[in-house]
This record gives sequence, structure tokens and C-alpha cells, in this order.
Amino acid sequence: MNASLNLLIGLAMGLNLLALGSSRLPSLIRAMSLQGVVLGVMPLLLEQGADWRVGLVALATVVGKGVVIPSLLRRAMRAAHIDREMEPFIGFVPSLLLGAAGTIAAVALARALPLLPEHQGLLLVPGSIASVLTGFILLIGRAKAISQVCGYLILENGIYLFGLLLIHSTPLLVESGILLDLTVGVFVIGIIVDRIQRAFDSLDTRKLTVLRE
Amino acid sequence: MTVTPLLCIAAGGLLTGLLAGRGSGGVWLAATLAGVSAALAAAVSVLAGGGDWEWRSGFPLGGESLHLRLDGISAFFLVLLCLIGVAGAVYGRGYWEEAMHPRSARAGRIWWSVLLLSLGGVLLASNGLHFLVAWELFTLSAYFLVTLDRHRTEVRAAGWLYLGASHAAVLALFAFFVQLSVRTGSWDLGPWPRRTELAPLFWLALFGFGLKAGLFPLHVWLPAAHANAPSHVSAMLSGVTLKMGIYGLVRFSGWMPVPLGTGWVVAGLGVASAVLGVAFALGQHDLKRLLAYHSVENIGIILIGLGFALVAIEQGGAAWGKLALAGGLLHVWNHGLFKALLFFAAGSVRHATGAREMSRLGGLWRGMPWTAGLFALGSAAICGLPPLNGFVSEWLVFLGLIDASLAHGSPAWAAFPAAILLGATGALALACFIKVCGVVFLGAPRSMAAAQAHECGPSMCGVMLLLGAACIAIGLAPVVFWPAVARAVGAWQPAWGGDGIPAPLVALGRAHLALAVLAVLAGWGLWRKSRGQHWVHARTWDCGYAAPTARMQYTAGSFAGILTEWFSWILRPERHGTGPANPFPAHSSHSIHTPETVLEKIVEPAGRLILRASIVVRRLQHGRVQSYILYVLVGLTVLAGWILTEGRS
Repeated sequence: MNASLNLLIGLAMGLNLLALGSSRLPSLIRAMSLQGVVLGVMPLLLEQGADWRVGLVALATVVGKGVVIPSLLRRAMRAAHIDREMEPFIGFVPSLLLGAAGTIAAVALARALPLLPEHQGLLLVPGSIASVLTGFILLIGRAKAISQVCGYLILENGIYLFGLLLIHSTPLLVESGILLDLTVGVFVIGIIVDRIQRAFDSLDTRKLTVLRE
Repeated sequence: MTVTPLLCIAAGGLLTGLLAGRGSGGVWLAATLAGVSAALAAAVSVLAGGGDWEWRSGFPLGGESLHLRLDGISAFFLVLLCLIGVAGAVYGRGYWEEAMHPRSARAGRIWWSVLLLSLGGVLLASNGLHFLVAWELFTLSAYFLVTLDRHRTEVRAAGWLYLGASHAAVLALFAFFVQLSVRTGSWDLGPWPRRTELAPLFWLALFGFGLKAGLFPLHVWLPAAHANAPSHVSAMLSGVTLKMGIYGLVRFSGWMPVPLGTGWVVAGLGVASAVLGVAFALGQHDLKRLLAYHSVENIGIILIGLGFALVAIEQGGAAWGKLALAGGLLHVWNHGLFKALLFFAAGSVRHATGAREMSRLGGLWRGMPWTAGLFALGSAAICGLPPLNGFVSEWLVFLGLIDASLAHGSPAWAAFPAAILLGATGALALACFIKVCGVVFLGAPRSMAAAQAHECGPSMCGVMLLLGAACIAIGLAPVVFWPAVARAVGAWQPAWGGDGIPAPLVALGRAHLALAVLAVLAGWGLWRKSRGQHWVHARTWDCGYAAPTARMQYTAGSFAGILTEWFSWILRPERHGTGPANPFPAHSSHSIHTPETVLEKIVEPAGRLILRASIVVRRLQHGRVQSYILYVLVGLTVLAGWILTEGRS
């Protein structure tokens, strides 16, 4: 079971690199939504007996991250008539290298952390740290607002992965709270994206600097 | 007890004034008058031998139960607050007329009421939290009063400087009271004898209260604020609010043990303030700025008294400390009275001529004899000339210093030079006020405005007359006022209370009376002798010239030229202009300006340095979201690294 779980996490880490390396926004959104689906399946593997609550969490995650949010983003992308990240702050190759370095550092760091014995053999902790770092690289290195939303979601995926460590002790309410938080965040950013588009006729966040005092 | 109803009436009257201030000025004045008289009666009843008054509310206010206390020290300062508060209110109605300043006159009334209430709160509060609230309220209301005339740029600049400096003081006091409450376990204030762990906190109090009192290196805000405020506000600022700093120092040096050597520091700061304050005053050409620097000087004299009293306590409670403290405290009253009188007279000059620069005045005594006479009286009092009140308090400080010099031990070595410097201060102040009286009131008018000056209204003149009478009364009958001073001294140091009027003071009172009688007789004789004579009227400063002009008179700068030269090491006067060059000189000019050295040479460069550093730091805030996220990431990484390494070690 641990092997299949590690396989899924490895897949998620690969998707991180895919997200970093893709210049076209549809492929970035696809990588992000695929990662959401992979993560959504994981609680079912972690839990031995089929608990209806865990199933509910898994279903909500898969639907939310794999279907609802990507379709919202695609619609925003079509409305704004953009599908490419033109001038990133950090280029795609440097982003990839940074992401790879971050992944290696995450594995090294996870070894140094004092983990519980049942989590020793899992890739959960390095995977989550690598996802958080990927999210940060996207947030820092991309100029288009939609890429940044994707970065934010990947960061959230990393936090979710870390939360899986605690799935036994985290009540359902907290889980659904995290999910709700995520959805609201995406909605808010969707509205902001719309506003930026209308105010500046572009989604380039560099133009926001004219708003400082 | 009678104090409670009196203070209730006072609070009620002032609150009524606060509410009535928006409407009619008459109702406001009546309510303020009633409230202040009740407060004055309460303070006098405590000073005249009644016991301390204390009241604690059953309900909490801001988390702490209200604790008020009126003892010898607070009653002593309350008397001054009441006198100047009501004098300024009456004077202000004539000076800052409704017709001339319709909007700011109303604001001035309201803020005046707030100022009186909050100052009363500072004096009565016996809880650190309420003290701080009242203190902040008083700072803010004084700021609004200073900037009543805020359409002028220099008034706004002075207001900002005042606000900034006051808040530096508030910050220090906040730290002081918080530390006090932490170490004593409660916000309640009261005597803490033998709690030596509290002693180091006194340095914070010295900074906070000293900044507010305007002692020498911390006086940077004072000249600009006092010069640019309306004159009745200047009188209040100089006469009363500076004394709140003194009140804080006296209060807390009496209640808690002070660090070893504090007395020396306070006395040293006092001597520096006295000598340098008068030196800076000599270099000024603006009448009100000059008076403001004299406040620094007089605060110095008060601090010399307080400092040597602290030295005496350190030396085991020597009796000369009592005289020094009594002199310092009496000088609080005296300075309040004559400085208010001088600022009122300066305001009357400003009101009549529209000018504050002495180079545009001159010959005013013809047009404004009352103002001129009362200004001269105030000048004599501030210079410490007998038989006026300034001499009484300085005499007590001198007595303390001389007794200390005669006693054996280390204080003798410091008291003697301090006495000499105090004497030099008096002489320099005399020179300075001869300059002011001569340039402003004597000679020929230097401008049309000065030539057409008219006397001020009866309310302004009446207030000045009353203040002048108070100056004379303390000068002629110091023994009448001694019990109040003795009560305050006894509240500061119980061992010093009790015994009767010191013999030198009785002798001084008699000598003053004799001097006054002689002066009146001599004046009467002169008047009789001159009555039958033939009078010849001529221009002043004629000097035999065929066509003299007013510009041939001594200016304020040239009169004090030699004296300012002596102090040029600290005054740093700026000279401009060109002298006459060849046997047939063409155009030549000369002007001299004394800057506020501490502000312009120390505080402003430091401020510019901080500003430059802030501009560099401000580049970090550029509006790019991506970089902000990078800051967050870096911050989190550093924190994580710190926690991990901490956990390992």
C-alpha cells in the first residue's frame, strides 16, 4: 500500500515539474487539476476500512480540484483572451532547475526532520514541501494572474499533502473548512482577475505597481 | 470634607464650559470662571492646612478604578493652573476676538476647556493609566491651541515639532508607567519608600518629564511652539504646561527612591538650562521667541532647586535642601505669574502692531503706557530684582546653595559654582530685558505700525494688572505664601515639613517692604518736584543730528552683540552681508541670525539620516506582488531554519 501511495506522490511531484516547465496556460491548468485528482484519491489508500466520511472528503477534493476550479480558470482564460505566459520573471528553464533543486532539498530536509516511525518510509513530507516550493516559485516567477492562481493552488496541494499525515486526528469539519477556504480563495482571485482585466485591459500583474502610493 | 463638593463643582463648571464653548463666549467664560474658582478654593483649602484629599471610585474606568488624590504638591500646582487658566481665558476673549477669528475663536474656547480639564486630571490622577490618558489629552489639546492660526506655514511647522517632541515624551512616560506597574504589581500610584528596584526607572521619567519641561538639550520644540502660538496660549504653555514636567519630576522623585547621583544630574541640567537658555535669549530678535528661551532659563532655576534638594536627601537630609526645594517650588508659581504677564504684554504689542520682530517696533510706551509699564514690571520680576517675586524664590535657592557651600562635604564644591552661575544668569537676564524694554518700548518707532500703536482693551489690561499685582504681593509679603510652599515641601519630604517660617525670609519681606516704601516716596518726591517745572519735549535719540532717523538707533542684535559673541561657541550665529569697503562705500549690509542650534545642528541632521535610511528601505515596497511573496518565503525559510537549529542545539 505504501508503494502505491509513494507512486502517487511521485506522480504529483512530477506534475509539479510539468507545471513549472509549461509555458502554455492550458497545460499548466491541466497539470494542476491532475495533481488535484491524484491527491484526492490518496485518503482512500491511506484509510484501511472504507469510511463514508473519508470517501466524502476524497470525492469533494476530486470534484473541486479536478473539475470545478480548472473549469473556472479555463473560463477566465477564455474571457481574457490569453493562453500563454509571455514574459515570466523567472524563465521556464530556471524555474525547472529551481523546482528540481527544491525537490532534492525537500527530500534531504525530510530526512532531517524528526518524523513518526509510521511516516518514515513515505514520500508524504518531501512531496508536500516540494509542492509548497513549486507553488512559491510559480507565485514569484509568473506575471500573469492565472498562472499565479495555479501557483496558489499547487501551494494549497502541498499543504493538503501535509495534512494527510494528520488524517486520523483531523476532524471532518477541519477538512471541509480547508476545502471551503480554497474555494473561496479561488473565487476571490477569479473576481480580482476579472477586475484587473477590466481596469488594465491585461492580466499582467506588473501593471498593478501603478497602484502603489 | 469640603474638597469633594468643590472639585465636583469645578468639574461641572469646566464641563459646562466645554459644552457651551460652541455657542456663546460669555456663557463659556462664566462657566469656566465658576469651575476654576471652585478648583482654586479646593487647592487653597488643602494648602492652608487641610489634610490630603483622596477618593477612589467603586466603578472601574478603563479597567482600573478611578483614584484621585489632592495633596500638598498637586494642590500647589493646581493653584497656578487655576490662576493662569482663568487669566488666559479672560485675556483670550479680548486677544483672539470672535469678530476677527470667528471659527478658531470657538475652537480655542473648546480646546481651552479640554486643556484645563486634562491638566486638572494630570494633577489629580493617582493611577498610572489615567495619568497617561490625561497627559495625552493635555498634549493634544495644547497642540490644537498652538495651531489655532494654522493657515500660516510656520505655525503648522511649530505644531508638528511640538507634537513630535511631546510624543517622544509620552513614549518615555508610557514605558515608565508600564515598568512601574509591572514592578509594583498595580497601576496605582503612591509613595513607595525603600523600593530601591524602582530607582532606575527615574531616568525614563527624567527624559519624559524633562522633554515636556523643556530643559536644555530637550528644549528644541519649545521656542517655535511658544513663539507661534497665540499669546494667551503661549502664556499657558510657558506658565503652566512646562510646569507639568516639573510636577512629574517633583512628584516621582518624592514618591520613589532615585538612583545615586540623580541630584547632581538634575542640578547640572538645571545650571546648563539656566545659563544657555538666557544666552540663546540674548541672540533672539523675535519678542516671543526671546521670552520662550527665558522659559528654558527659569526651568533651569527650578531644577537647580530640585537637584540640590535631591543631593541633600542623598547626603542624609541636610536642612539646606529644604530651602533649595522651597525656592524651586516658589519659582514655579513666580515664573508662571511673570511669564504669563510678559507673554500677555507681548501679545498686546502684537495685537497693536501686528509685529513680533523687535526690529520693527520701538517707542511703544507713548501709545501703550499700561502695556509698557506692566512689561517693565514683569521684566524686573523675571530678572530677579527686588522687591518683586522673582527675587524671593531665587533668594531661597541662593540661600540653599550658600548654606550648602558652607557645609562640609562634596556638595560644597558644586554648590558654590552653581551659585555663581545662577548669579550670572540673573545678570544676563537683566541685560536681555534691558535690551527688550529699550528696543521695543523706548526710542523712536521703527515702523508705521509701531508709530500708530494703541493700548489694548480693558479685559487684556485688567488681567495683566492682576498678574502684576500678584507679582508684587509675593514680593512684598513672602511670609503669607510660605505656608503653601512649606506644605508642598512637607508633602515631598515629610521630614522637612513642620517648622516655622525661615528667618531670612521674614527679613527679606521687611526689606522688600522698606524698599517699596522708599521707591514710592522717591517717586512721589520726583513727581512733586517736576510738577512746577517747564517741560521740554524732544525726540528720543536726537544726539544733535539735524535729521535723525529711527534706523540710527541700537537694534536688538547690536545691543546684545558683545554678549552673544561670548556665547558664539554654542549659539553659532549666522552672519550675512558685506561691510563698507573703500573710502566711498557703496551699498553695504549686515544681518545676524541665531539658529536653534540643538535643533538645526543635532536633531535635524539625525532626522535626515533616518529619512535617508527609510527611503532606501522603502524601495522594498514597490507594489510587485511576486516580490512580496518572495519576502514571505524568505521570512518563512529563515524562521524555519531558526526553529530547526534551535531544536537541535
